This record gives sequence, structure tokens and C-alpha cells, in this order.
Amino acid sequence: MLQVEMNKKKVDAELDEMLAGYERDRTEVIMVLQDIQDKYNWLPQEALTYVAKNWQIPMTDMYHIVTFYKAFSLKPRGKHILQLCLGTACHVREAPFILDALERDHGIKNRETTDDGLFTLETVNCVGACAQGPILIIDGQMRGNMTQTKVGGIIRKLRKAHKEEVAENE
Amino acid sequence: MNKFASAEELTRYQGELKRKTNGALKTISLCGGTGCKACGCNEIHTKLVEELNLREIRADIKVTGCQGFCEMAPLIVIRPDDTLYIQVKPRDIPEIVEKSIAGNEIVDRLVYHDSDGKPIPKESDVPFYKAQLRLVSKKTPYIDPMEIDDYIALGGYSALAKVLTSMSPEEVISEVKKSGLRGRGGGGFPTGRKWESCRKAEGERKFVICNADEGDPGAFMDCALLEGNPHQVLEGMLIGAYAIGSSEGFIYVRHEYPRAVQTFSNALFQAGEYGLLGKNILGTDFSFEVAINRGGGAFVCGESTALMASLEGRVGEPRAKYIHTVEHGLFNLPSNLNNVETWATVPAIIDMGVEEFTKIGNEKNKGTKMFSLVGKIKNTGLIEVPLGATLRQVVFDIGGGIAKEKAFKAIQTGGPSGGLLPEGMLDLPVDFDKLWEAGSMMGSGGMIVMDEDNCVVNISRYFLNFLKDESCGKCLPCREGIRYMMEILEKIEKGEGTMEDLETLEEIAHTVADTSICGLGKSAPNPVLSSLTYFKDEYIAHIKDKKCPGGICKALINYYILEDKCNGCGVCAKVCTMNAITGKKDQVHRIDLDLCEKCGACLESCPTEAIVRR
Amino acid sequence: MNEKTEIIAEPDVKMVTFTIDGKEVTAPDRTFLIKVAREHNIEIPTLCYNEHLEPYGVCRMCIVEVTRNGRRRIVTACNYPVTEGIVVETRNERIINNRKLLLEMMMARHSEVEVIRNLAKEYGVDTIRFKEQPSEECILCGLCVRVCNDLVGAHALCFAQRGPERYVTTPYDVESDTCIGCGACYHVCPTNHIKMEQMDGLSVVYGDVSLGPDKPIHIDFMQAVPATPWIDQKSCIHFQTDGCGICSEVCPTDAIHYDMKDEIVEVEAGNIIVTSGFKGFDPSPMYQFGYGRLPQVMTSIEFEKLSNAGGSTGGKLLTPDGRTPEAVAIVHCIGSRDKNYNEYCSRICCMQSLKFSHLIREKTGAEVYQCYIDMRCFGKGYEEFYSRVLSEDVHFIRGKVSEVTDFSPDGLPEGKVLIKVEDTLLGIVREIPVDMVILSVGIEPQVGAQDLKQKLRISVSPDSFFLERHPKLAPVATATEGVFIAGCAQGPKDIPDTVAQANAAAAAVLQAIAQGEVMLEPITAEVMEEQCTGCETCLSVCPYEAITKDEEKGIAVINDALCKGCGTCVAACPSGAIKQWGFDREQIIAEIDAVLADIAV
Repeated sequence: MLQVEMNKKKVDAELDEMLAGYERDRTEVIMVLQDIQDKYNWLPQEALTYVAKNWQIPMTDMYHIVTFYKAFSLKPRGKHILQLCLGTACHVREAPFILDALERDHGIKNRETTDDGLFTLETVNCVGACAQGPILIIDGQMRGNMTQTKVGGIIRKLRKAHKEEVAENE
Repeated sequence: MNKFASAEELTRYQGELKRKTNGALKTISLCGGTGCKACGCNEIHTKLVEELNLREIRADIKVTGCQGFCEMAPLIVIRPDDTLYIQVKPRDIPEIVEKSIAGNEIVDRLVYHDSDGKPIPKESDVPFYKAQLRLVSKKTPYIDPMEIDDYIALGGYSALAKVLTSMSPEEVISEVKKSGLRGRGGGGFPTGRKWESCRKAEGERKFVICNADEGDPGAFMDCALLEGNPHQVLEGMLIGAYAIGSSEGFIYVRHEYPRAVQTFSNALFQAGEYGLLGKNILGTDFSFEVAINRGGGAFVCGESTALMASLEGRVGEPRAKYIHTVEHGLFNLPSNLNNVETWATVPAIIDMGVEEFTKIGNEKNKGTKMFSLVGKIKNTGLIEVPLGATLRQVVFDIGGGIAKEKAFKAIQTGGPSGGLLPEGMLDLPVDFDKLWEAGSMMGSGGMIVMDEDNCVVNISRYFLNFLKDESCGKCLPCREGIRYMMEILEKIEKGEGTMEDLETLEEIAHTVADTSICGLGKSAPNPVLSSLTYFKDEYIAHIKDKKCPGGICKALINYYILEDKCNGCGVCAKVCTMNAITGKKDQVHRIDLDLCEKCGACLESCPTEAIVRR
Repeated sequence: MNEKTEIIAEPDVKMVTFTIDGKEVTAPDRTFLIKVAREHNIEIPTLCYNEHLEPYGVCRMCIVEVTRNGRRRIVTACNYPVTEGIVVETRNERIINNRKLLLEMMMARHSEVEVIRNLAKEYGVDTIRFKEQPSEECILCGLCVRVCNDLVGAHALCFAQRGPERYVTTPYDVESDTCIGCGACYHVCPTNHIKMEQMDGLSVVYGDVSLGPDKPIHIDFMQAVPATPWIDQKSCIHFQTDGCGICSEVCPTDAIHYDMKDEIVEVEAGNIIVTSGFKGFDPSPMYQFGYGRLPQVMTSIEFEKLSNAGGSTGGKLLTPDGRTPEAVAIVHCIGSRDKNYNEYCSRICCMQSLKFSHLIREKTGAEVYQCYIDMRCFGKGYEEFYSRVLSEDVHFIRGKVSEVTDFSPDGLPEGKVLIKVEDTLLGIVREIPVDMVILSVGIEPQVGAQDLKQKLRISVSPDSFFLERHPKLAPVATATEGVFIAGCAQGPKDIPDTVAQANAAAAAVLQAIAQGEVMLEPITAEVMEEQCTGCETCLSVCPYEAITKDEEKGIAVINDALCKGCGTCVAACPSGAIKQWGFDREQIIAEIDAVLADIAV
């Protein structure tokens, strides 16, 4: 209990500082939530309660908003965020095969975070780089002309780097 | 910088800028569009700066918005020579700097070569550009989107000055009406009429909204405009606000476009500094403010009522539009919503005059339209053509035909709500009405080309799947109907479909179109209906022959190794995660069909193209 | 479902004429089409429409085809504003076909839902061509969400997710802390997906969400007089969220005013009849009977409510676990004729117990055990009723019950309790398992009777009931002129006696009114103005509040109509300023002289 209380206080203080520039008008709520998600990588319940209270929005509306818009996650996301573009251009260039490969060969499922907390896979609809499709965005870095083989190499490299990092820390 | 107190001051400043930029310095215009970013233009920029510093050469580097020729990314154009270098790598930079910037030579190996292998160094001679007519995207390649001066130097904001000093709001509306401009967001509603209704609507406040929630997968025109030339969009909004009598504006940008948000907020700031935004613009009584709203990631928010709900900080669910948004829109007040391209077209109309503008296009469709030409085509990229140009011109003259010498199968216009058009329709003029009649639509301007390796059933299923995920779920037909249509297509993909299924499919499609609340649902059946019209044989092939002509539907295909092409390199066996491929080194390999998962990794990796699926 | 709505036109709204199904109709401009259609008895099916909520237009059942300016299109009647000259078709082929397919889609997902089944049947939808899923009760009409947020303002329910994954829930899918338990969602739900249950004294919606008390508008019980409903402000939505207000909207006589408050009304009256009634004895302290501990034990008043047709079971006699009882014990003289509680006999309980026996035998045929001390059937026809009940095979056990318990060394059948009673006629102790124990509780003076006594300056007898002036000569009058008593305020009695006494009290009052004047006591006191110092001693001692102070003159004044001539003030006055008629100094001395005269002689 105490843990949660302290956590809430911490979140409140952080958000007070971070969101000071907003006017607490309802039109801002989606952007506010995006800012919070950028900070924490997901939307903790404490943050949602904070916004609901300070922006005077019923929690019911908040909950519908955060589950409606794809940009929000109510679960903590992985260390690396993989966004695979499934826009039409990428689809016709066989991006779905890459999606299959990620699950089949690397155990990374769409809209889920791997058990080791390393990867979260999301699909997005067009990032505006159709000419280079299929596109995979790794932690905000765009990688064009993806193939199953290339994706495999990237994942293995990231896993190895993580292992080394863990070993180093120990 | 002081705020411009009058239109004359702006004109004077424009003159100053022109004199300044007419210097002897060479301009290196480096495309920084999303496509080029994905191909590493950042490294090129770093290298370029480094190289120029090293050699102590002065040149003007402009990182511009998307110049269009994404297929050949990254792009560099040297001006005033107008030399276009394509697919530039950082290691090419020293040579370019030495020859083309320090000197006036051309690096032959980096310029565009036509199909006969003839080099075409000048950008304007490249067929991809030559066949286009650039009106709205004209200024983009010359502008650093973060610099308002670049835009002003090219005559930017003079349309606004003209409107504010010499035209009444009614005159502006009448000009726009005369221009025949129709909404570029896809609906094709006459913009002038919309403005007029909004001006006439009663309300203590009125809003001008820019729809930059470009949700169509495979379309990035609005993104390119906002990232490449934000001031032109803003100028259009200013003119519109003046005509309508609004002093508050919003721009709703989808969250997948963080750079567009960045450039546009910078544009707002700079325009404010110059007195082109805010109170008493250019010393007149007209005041206008714009707020940026980032969307939350929902395709349906491109729909006007859903967008307004989202702007209000609610869930983006559409409502019935029996009462129009120009009367009761955002916060129940009169609101005028146009998309990015429409706003960006407005200054062009005022600048060139209605007479010149109406010369472009055909009878009911005036001006130009931007498209993102993507898919299995040689020259993918961002293009702009006069309305009424034929699909064939777009696909073959600009797009250069199908990549890898495959056969053309279909072109999809209008995004997920549009239709699939076959080869026989290639001579169809691209305009709002003709596309609609053909069972497709203009949409916001995505054009996706498909070749013989694409499966129509699969594509239709893809769009339905997309729409199913993007449906807000509010009304029954869209929420359930799309899903049931998709289930039928899945059945057909598996080879389990029946001819009755096709009838059911069509029946659901009509009900969904008839009874959905908003445009998303109403147009959702378009891909299915149009493909059933033009590609019924492909559905029948799935149902009756249990074959997928495109070789996509896993249940109906198998992978084979062509004995005469296989050189026994073993790459396929290595990538196969199911260990379904066996064979000795340097001997023909074989696929065990029982083990094969049909993932296609082998086909993708085979260096001799010995693997086929059929 | 097709409730009729009356459309009342605002005075300055223009009227438009248009056609529905070939019929020309007139309505205020921009009225929603569904209202006009229902006004004209044209049936359009709806699932997500409720006239108290903003139309939502999601079920698409109310689609109709409208031709306006030559353009035909399908619209939803619930939110389509009518305009001049439109042509509406509510049942043409295109509409029917679309409705059919929509219903087919519904049937694939909600095949067990009655409203959907009925509509599907009505439209002849019998084959489902889509992949059927396990039937879900929620059809996502959004009525509950909208009523909770828009009308009630409690903000407990919401939608979550989108597309086919959309569902109704509370934030984070856990018990809501903003739900006020109004049950509005339950009432608007067309498929009974939302349920209301009683749990731990709270109503619960849909299994796990705690809610408050049930309906805030009550008529206490069927025979309540007056039968006026009242609003419980604790559970009324309006008083909690400022929302709702449906009751005032639907009340045809505008009788509901939320700003009405409890108020103190002052009435000037010449006579008062005190009929403050009684309260039932509370048997909780008599631990041996298990009242409040064993659910099977109830008081006679509670049983009366249970057997009443307007009660919670509609008059059915049921045990707390919902069974029909097989054996019932009625225990007499609870709190009456008992030195530890009240010594008096409450008079009504014997007859009431007999009535209960009769009712139980008649309604359930259960065995009835009457445990009595004496049977007191004193009134007209009462003894005959006793005989009749005796003949109805009711067991009469003469003896006091010593204990009611749910424990027996031999074990008890489920739901039964054991009564232990000494049968003094047989001379044995009996242990009888029963399903229900009725404690025939005695009558006690009403709470607050003490207050009333002080205010009205009337007396009570040792049993704490109000004391009449004279048991035979003035049975309804009190010592205070103009104050009368009737009913159980005076002492335990049954209904016939109460009515008789009330009539008598009313007659006494009427008598006073008819006379038009008050007969004064001949022997009242009077203040001699010149001697009164205004010390107010008399004011405090007067038991009838007959003395007031004339502030102007600074002296005490006695109201002749109130003075009973008791003489207390005369004796108390320190300055001897009050004299009593007939008892002035000379007269008393004369009296004394006369008395002493004999002795002197």
C-alpha cells in the first residue's frame, strides 16, 4: 500500500512539472496523454487518474479514450519498440510475411511484449515512406526494404547486445 | 525582426530576400523527406557539411521536404545547374562536392539513366518529373521548411496580402467558387460552397480546421506538404479564415507524423514573429490563431465529425451528419474543415488567378492533385498531375511501368475505401466523378499499383482487416458487417469458399454501404464490390479451381525449386526455419512440402530466383 | 417499445408538412422523425433509442428511406430532423432487406437475446449465414453508458476498445467507485444484460459492482395513507449528481419539485387530539428468542408486512431462504405481562395471533403452534373466532417459550429452528422444530410521547400512556382544556376500540366548536396589578402556561381560558399579588373562622 502511495506522489510531482505548460482544457487531453506515454513508455493508472482529476474528465471518458486510440498502451512496453508498417504499399510488398516471421522465428507477437521485456511489437498503418516498403521502425529509427532475413539479423543483434549489457552489469 | 505592419512591408521584405538569394552561391538541395530519411539522408547531410568545411567551400545547403522521387532516394539537386543525383551514398559526397560544387562538372554515374542507359542529368528532364504538373508542391524542393524566409522569397504570403488588402471575404469566396476547387480529402465537395455555408452559418465563434489525419495507408501527400512547405498550408488557412470570418483555427495531425508537427509548430511560431499570424495581421483588422492537435491514432478520425470529437478531447466517433458541421461542428459551432492539400491549393489559386487555374484539369475537375504512387511500380514517389490525366499516364509515363518486368494487374485508388481497377480501366481519367462511376474513389490520393504476384482476394481481405481494426465500433453494420465480409474472404483464401458466399458477400456489402453512420462504413465495401466487378474470375479461381493466381494465399500454393535454375548454394536450406529444404552442396535442393510453412523466406533469399510459388 | 410521445411545439417553431408511408403529416420543423412516426402510430423498430436520451443512431434498426430535393437516401429515423416536403418510406423493400440483414448479423452474435429473436422472427430471419458465436447478451446499444454519463452523471460505465472489440465496462474493468447504485442502466438495458441483485444489503449490478439502495421513489406500503410517493434523497440520482430528473419530466401534474424541503408548519388551533399511536416492543434484548440473530425469528408487525399483498413477497408466506414454511410458532406476550419489561397486557396480541394462525393455515397449511399464557378474547365475536381457529387444527400450548435456538444435539433440518416450551397443561417440556417464529410483541407508547407530554402539559399514567381526565366521565379529555387523546396513545387497544375512541374525541372537539365559546373555570386566579412587581415567579410555576408577562406594564397576566384554578401561583407569589376567585383572603379567613368556630365553642 505504502509503495503505491509513494509512487502516486512521485508520479503527481513529475507530471505537475512536465505538464505545467498546458492550460488544462479538455481539447489537450490526447496530447497530454501522448506526452505522458512518451515519458513512461506506457500509461500508468496513476497518470490517468492525475489527468482525469486535473483536466476534470470523468474516468469513464479517459478509459474509453486510452483504449480507443492506438497510440496508447495501458501495459508497460518493452525496451525496444518494433513498429512494422502494414500500410497498403508495405502489404503488397509482403510485409505480412515479416510479421509471421517475427512470431514464428523470434517469438515476438503483434501487440505484445516479449516475456524478457525486451521487445514490443506493434503494427502501424503507413508511416509515409511507401517507396522503401516494407518498413520496420526500431525505437524510432526507420529501416526500409525489410525482408525476413534482414529482420532476423536485427533481432539477433539486439538480443546479443542486451545479453552483453546484462553480463556487464553483473 | 519586427512584425509587418502592412502588406507593403511584406512586399519590400520579399524584394530584399530575392536580391540576397540571387547571389553566386550554389544551392545544394538535399531531400529530407521520410523516404530519404529511411535511406540515410542524415548521414549524407553530415558528410556534406564536413566536406564543405574541409574544403572551405561556401554553398547553401537546404534540407527540403519530400521532393517526390522516393524510389531513387536519397536525392540531391544542385542548383542553379539543376543537376539531380540519385541514390547518393555518403562515400559519393566528396566527388560531388569536388566536381559539381567546386566545379561545374557532372558526376555521370550518379545521375538518372533512362531505360536505354542514357544519362539525364537535369532534374526537369527526368521523365518522372517531366510528365508531372507541379502546382501545389512546386515550392517544396526550393524550401527549407524550417525557414519562413525561403517561402517568402518565393512569393509566399503575397496571396494573403492580396486578399487582405484588396478583396472582401465575399470576393474571396466567389474566387474560390469560380476556381471550381473541390475538397482534396477525397469527398470532392466544392470548397467555395462549403466556405459560403460556413460564412452564412450563425455562431458566436467559427472555426477553421485543417485535416492532417492522413490515415490512408499508402498515402503521404499531406505529410509531405506539412513537412515540406508548412507555410503554404498556413497561408491557405489564413485566407480561408478571412473569407469565412473565423479567428480560431485548428490543425489535427496524426501522431505518426511527429516531424510534420515539428515543422508546422515552427511555421506557426515564425509566422507569429512576422505578424502573419495573431492579432491584426499585416496591420489589418483580421486576426487569427492556430492550435496544433496531435491525433491519437485512429483512421476514423479523418472523418469530419469524428475529427471534431477528437479535437474536443473525446473519443473519435462519428455522428450522423444530417445537420452539417459548417453549421454545428466543433463545440457545436460553425466549423469549416478542409484537408491539407486543399488549404495548400488556395494560395496557388489566388497567386495565379482563377483564369489560369481553371485552364488546368477538365470540366468539373479543376487544378492538380497530388498522389503517392506506390506498390509494384518502377518509380515510386510523390507526384502531382492535372486532374483528368489518365491512369495510364500516371502508371507508365510517370511511374515507368511495373517493376521487375512483371505484368500489371490492378491499381488501387482512394485508400482502403477505394476500389481496385483493372488494366482495362487504365485510360480512365483521374477525376472525382470518373473514379466514383468506376466504383472507386479519389480518396486522399493514394495509388497502389499491383502486379501479377498480388492476389485480389488477399488485397480485399487486407483492406477489410484494416477497416475492421479501424472501425470505431459504434454502429452495427460497420462493426459486424466488415468482420463477416472478412470472414468470408478468409474462407475463400483458404479455398473453402462457395459461390453462394460471393452472393452473401455482395449482400452484406450493400447493407454496410447503405446503413453505416459515416463514410468509413459507407465506403468500406468498395474494395470488395469493385474487385467482384472487375476480378470475379480471380475469386472463382480460388473457389472452383482452388488456385490463387497471385500465389499469395498460403493454403492454395506451394513452393518449388526449379531444377534448371538451382545452383545448390544452400542459402535456402539455411534460412528455412522448418528444415524443410534439403540438398547437398552444389546439387539441386528440394522442398519437403509436408514440412514447408510457406513463409517464403527461401524465395526471398534465393540468389538465382530458382524458387517459385504456384 | 412503441411508447407514444407527445410532441409539443414551441410557439415560434414553424410547422412543416411531409409524407410518411403515403400519409401526409404535420410536425414542428426539425423534429426527429421517430417522434412524428410514433405520434402517428407508424411502427419503426428501435434498439438504441430512448426518448429521454439524445438519439445515438447506432442500432440502425430505425432506418427509413427519405427523398428530399429529389435525392433518395437511407437515414435513421431516431435522429433525422424532418423538413418541409420530404417523402419518408419506412417499410419499402430496400429498408426491409437491410433490416433483415442487420438482424441476421445480430442473430449471429446474440442468438439467445429475446428482443433480437423476436425482431428476427418478425422479419422472417431464420437462417444465419455467418459464423455463429456464443450468444452475448450485450448488443452495444449504449443505452446504459449514455444514461449513466449523460443523464445520471455518475460516470460509472463506459465503452472500451473499438471495432468488433468494443465492449461496455467500468474503467479498468473493476468495481466502480463512482457508481451510485441508481439502477438506471439496469432499467434501460433492453436485453437484461445488466442485472440488479441484492447483496449485503446493497443492490448490485451485474454481479460485482456495488450499488446503493434501490429505487429512490417509494410509496411505503400499499395501504399507506396518504399514498403519496416520496423521494429518498440518499439514493436519488438528482440529489447526488444533479442529473436525471426523469420523474419530474414524466409527471403529468408537475407534482415533483426537487427544491421542496421539510418545513415546520404553524397552525393555529383551538383543540388538539393526540393520536400519536404506539410502537411495537423491540424484542432484541430478549436474547433467548434469537430475534435479530436467527433469520427465522420475526415480530408480529414484520409478519403482518410479509402477509400483506403489498409486501415484498406479494403476500406469499415464505421463509427467509424462500421456502413455504412447514411449521410456524407464535409466541405470545413478548414484552407484555412481564415484570422485566411491561407489566400491562397489550390486549391486541391474542386476537392478532389467532388471525395469523388462521392466515397461515389457509395460505400454507403449515402446522401452527400457539404458545400462550392465557387467551384473552374479550370483544364481540372474538371468542367465536377463537373457537373457529381451535377447530382449524392449530396447536395451543399453554406455557411460556424459554428459548428459540438453531442448535440441537440431534441436529436440525436445513433452515429450521427449535423452540423450547413448557406445556403447563401436560406438564412436560416440548422441543418443536419450526421454520418460522413469530414473536407477538406488545404495544408501547410512541417514541416522543414524553416530549409531547411536556409540550401539551398533559399527564401520563404509570404505564407511560397518556392519562385521560377521568376514566369514565371524561375518557378522551385530558387535564388540559382543549387537548384530547384517542387510540393507542391512551393505552393498548385494537382497531374497533381505536375508531370508537377517535370518534368520541372528534365529537368532543366538535362540541366545543359548536358551542362557539369556552366555559371558563369559575375559580380562576387573578393578578392584582398594583401589587405585582413583575418578578415572574408565577410564570415558572404555572403548570398550564396560563400566565404571561405584559412587558409594557411590567406585570403578570393570567389567561382565564387556560387557568385551571389550581392556586399554585397564588401560593407562590412573594408579594401576594395573585388572588383566586372564591378563595380570597377574607373568604379563606371566613372559612377558617367557620371551621374554628366549633372548636372555639
